[in-house]
Amino acid sequence: MTKESGIVATLMKSWGLAIALVAIGVALSFAHPGFLTVPNLLNVARQISINGILAVGVTLVLLTGGVDLSLGSVVALAGVVAAGMAHPGQYPVAVPIALGVAAGALCGATNGLMVTCGRVPSFIATLGMMTAARGLALVVSKGRPVSNLSPEFTRLGGDVGMVPIPAMVLVGIALVTFVVLSKLRLGRYLYAVGGNAEAARASGINVGAIQMFAYTACGALAGVAGVVLAARITTGQPNAGVGYELDAIAAVVIGGTSLSGGVGTVGGTILGALLVGVINNGLDLMNVSSYYQAIVKGVIIVGAVWLDRNRGKS
Amino acid sequence: MLPNPLLQLRNVSKSFAGVKALEEVRLDVEAGRVHALMGENGAGKSTLMKILGGLHQPDAGEIRFKGRRIHHRSPHDALRLGIAMIHQELLPFRDLSVAANIGMGREATRWFPGWLDHGAMNREATTLLSRLGVPIEPTRRMRELGVAEMQTVEIVKALAHEASVIIMDEPTTALSEREVAALFDVIRELKQRGVAVIYISHKMDEIFRIADTITVMRDGHHVATRPAAELAERELIRLMVGRDPAQRAAVPGNPGAPVLEVRGLTLPGRFHDVSFTLRRGEILGVGGLMGAGRTEVANALYGLAPATVGEIRVAGKTVRIASPADALKAGIALVTEDRKRFGLVPRMSVQQNLSLASMRTRWIDRRAEAAVADDQIRKFSIKAAGRDQPVVNLSGGNQQKVVIAKALLTEPEILILDEPTRGIDVGAKAEIHSLISRLARTGKAILVISSELPELLSLSDRLLVMREGEVTAELDPLHTSQEEIMSFAMPL
Amino acid sequence: MKKISFKLIVGMLAIAALGGCGRRGQAADGGKQVVVGVSLLNLSSEFIVMLNEAMEAKAGELGVKLIVNDAQRSAERQIQQVEGFIAQRVDVIILNPCEVDASSPAVDKALAAGIPIINLNSETKAVPTAFVGSRDEESARIAMEYIAQRLDGRGGVVMMQGFMGQAAQLKRDEGAREVLAKHPGLTLLACQTAEWDRAKAMSLMENWIQSHGAGIKAVFAQNDEMGMGALLALERAKLKDQVVVTSVDAIADALQAVKDGRLDATVFQDARGQGGTAVELAVKIARKEPYEKETFIPFKLVTKDNAGEVR
Repeated sequence: MTKESGIVATLMKSWGLAIALVAIGVALSFAHPGFLTVPNLLNVARQISINGILAVGVTLVLLTGGVDLSLGSVVALAGVVAAGMAHPGQYPVAVPIALGVAAGALCGATNGLMVTCGRVPSFIATLGMMTAARGLALVVSKGRPVSNLSPEFTRLGGDVGMVPIPAMVLVGIALVTFVVLSKLRLGRYLYAVGGNAEAARASGINVGAIQMFAYTACGALAGVAGVVLAARITTGQPNAGVGYELDAIAAVVIGGTSLSGGVGTVGGTILGALLVGVINNGLDLMNVSSYYQAIVKGVIIVGAVWLDRNRGKS
Repeated sequence: MLPNPLLQLRNVSKSFAGVKALEEVRLDVEAGRVHALMGENGAGKSTLMKILGGLHQPDAGEIRFKGRRIHHRSPHDALRLGIAMIHQELLPFRDLSVAANIGMGREATRWFPGWLDHGAMNREATTLLSRLGVPIEPTRRMRELGVAEMQTVEIVKALAHEASVIIMDEPTTALSEREVAALFDVIRELKQRGVAVIYISHKMDEIFRIADTITVMRDGHHVATRPAAELAERELIRLMVGRDPAQRAAVPGNPGAPVLEVRGLTLPGRFHDVSFTLRRGEILGVGGLMGAGRTEVANALYGLAPATVGEIRVAGKTVRIASPADALKAGIALVTEDRKRFGLVPRMSVQQNLSLASMRTRWIDRRAEAAVADDQIRKFSIKAAGRDQPVVNLSGGNQQKVVIAKALLTEPEILILDEPTRGIDVGAKAEIHSLISRLARTGKAILVISSELPELLSLSDRLLVMREGEVTAELDPLHTSQEEIMSFAMPL
Repeated sequence: MKKISFKLIVGMLAIAALGGCGRRGQAADGGKQVVVGVSLLNLSSEFIVMLNEAMEAKAGELGVKLIVNDAQRSAERQIQQVEGFIAQRVDVIILNPCEVDASSPAVDKALAAGIPIINLNSETKAVPTAFVGSRDEESARIAMEYIAQRLDGRGGVVMMQGFMGQAAQLKRDEGAREVLAKHPGLTLLACQTAEWDRAKAMSLMENWIQSHGAGIKAVFAQNDEMGMGALLALERAKLKDQVVVTSVDAIADALQAVKDGRLDATVFQDARGQGGTAVELAVKIARKEPYEKETFIPFKLVTKDNAGEVR
């Protein structure tokens, strides 16, 4: 291997996804004049916010070698819990937000307990939570959308100036998570637990506590996503968020996080979410039939992971 | 010597992520001979064998087999050509029969495709096994077999593929002396049949017992190839290390106050009523056969699998050790026997593995962490492309050094080393021995578990022997013999 | 393990016994109480919840015992539920089918077992004893005609489709396109699915605003959820006053939006009418009285003028 190709390989490894994103962006701006405009790019930012927040959360769980399938249902539950407290003149806007996030965190902590103390595989534990949280959302909302929300609450789903608040929330969450993962001991322990749980334990790490943190944080972020979604669509929908967990996991995996744990970054996850969002937006702009959109998305998920697995070689 | 070797490697080079693992290596292997491949960890032996076995492709150079140039790209290709590899870690199908394992990949069928002919497969297995003089029933499940028997089955499997070159990577690591003798009988039988055996091992005595030719590698280069009969052990070590081996002078320690007192430690089914005292600056050796409960005691002291009964006192105070975190807090560190499982996070870098057990602050100071890592890499002469290289890419010996350095970074008062030199080359072994002695001299209390009696005898100040979960003797290494130790270790 | 499964079995037996008791209960008038098994498409959809409430209300009024099951969008589960009703020997089954084809076996099985079955709200391929519902294509026709009238037959229209391939989506597509064909001045600028989902509809509308901008004069969303999503996106982009938005179903949110003058129109599908009629029909069939084979409950256009009258 020559030195130059080594540099190219390293560049591709850390920037491959970013390069792909720029390439697709350039292609789309030629294909549709409306793509490369400030309002549209803000649109993309707004539209990836929910999925992005969920993806950052599930990155934490995937890093520890687990998975969280309950995200979509927790989004719905947090949404209806928050919406139920957000009618005009009811409580200060902080109350519904806090309760929505708390509901999410509680679901996440329950997942964590099932995985750590109950020794239930995360796939099963969170599958159970997926069903249970959906049921709970229907109970809380009596099966109906919770509407008539205060303008202070729904403003969370709106813009400040031209910048969408959901996107700002995502950026804030991504920055905090980045710091946790790269600057804090806690982050290092997350990678260690996912990389080799037994070695992590033998290094004196409380593996259960680390897993609890990952699931609880993931749940809390799902709660945030639920609150933001409810504000954006101005209702708490008990049947919102179906399938969101898979979209989030897809973004994370496209971003280079390993499903077997121990490898991944927040930056990759955000790029993954952006890639999916940009392609979604571009296909809508070009009015590509829904049938073909689904095919394109499927190909991209597998293709991105395939590229990731193979660019280290050859 | 034959004019035309069975297998020829010419100028084979290979690098990983910019690090040269092999540079212009040559090797000639002849039919019906045992060719030993020696070198320190990281010398490139495993890489070379993985190229031969089809797991890696060389960057440059050529491989000729039976006079023809070959380009095999997978273990499957290699096997089809007749090059079989017996791995260091065996990967059998544990729930299938011996015959099914032997027949794997070329199952006999009858009546219609896919319908297995178990009768034919059992008959074939019986023939092959008896040809090597191995008494294994072909219908037994793999999981019922001992490691040595599994290894033999792997060899038979290679024969079934009509392999003419069989590569054995450290085949005796987990074998008893009797099993080693049986394996060597099999190897001699293979020679008779004209099979070429490439044999990798760190054990000098084995090499001189079985090898016809010895090739020494160092730092990815071919150093020398000599007939085994013409090579003295000291000369061989010099070739491998590149310098004369420094004789370790056994400095008797001066034990001080008791640091670790263990009383009546019991974990039902594993060990029973284990008691001993470990003093400051003392090296306490623990001998015994595999399965005698030594590793289990170490794991209990470290909290990996806590004992249910008994008392552990550190510096006079009773401590409760329910997890490794408790042990580390009490000043106990363990260098595990199973470093893949308990020692390392494979995809993390050298730096991150080194610091993992000793991160004392909530925020990571990267600069300090890097400085510590560089320091340890230098101190232990860990061969790595840099502190950011994932440990999974290091050779076994260098991984072991990382594990030891990691344990020492926790600044323990009590260090438990479980088989610290298993699968490690002579050079590194001597380094680790002198390190252990040095640590004892600085006042650390050290517990060493080893299955190599010479190592135990030369290293320890005191010696415990375990048999079937119980301590059977406490001996003075200066006044005992390997025979005496064995008499306390062998099951009655 | 053993203990748990034992408890489970005991629990199931208890439930079965209770079910059995209920069935033999007598109505106040001394005649045999009519027992009706109901399998609903999905109780987490607001319209179905309303349908259910209408049936419960009517059943209470007529002294009918309802056993309500939720198929949660699964045709297979629906078939199992109908098999359950057959085993319990209910008098009549009301089926709110999940799918046209896949739910058909449920109808066949009930008829084969000699139990009358009424299809509620949507159709199956197999012909039931009776049908109560509305013609889905009619709802889309009403909504699109309203758009044509508001735009004077000229301008760009976008359509948000439901979950692709579902009966409601196919029929509403059909109805809407019929009207579009009648008005050559109306051009369909774009047509995409938002999968009945408010959040997805919002994103889709935002993207359409980017690509078509002021060219969009009207939006037809195949249900109110998507209509609300499109409405929110238009309001946030401050374009609502230039665009007519209509949708179908008249859920509570949409009705409120129509009253507030935000949503231009929705099409009222009469849940109370459908549910009530279905229960009345079930009683007639059970008592062997004459009944209508097909009952179509008409749709009604809801605009600001008549929003107060609905429900």
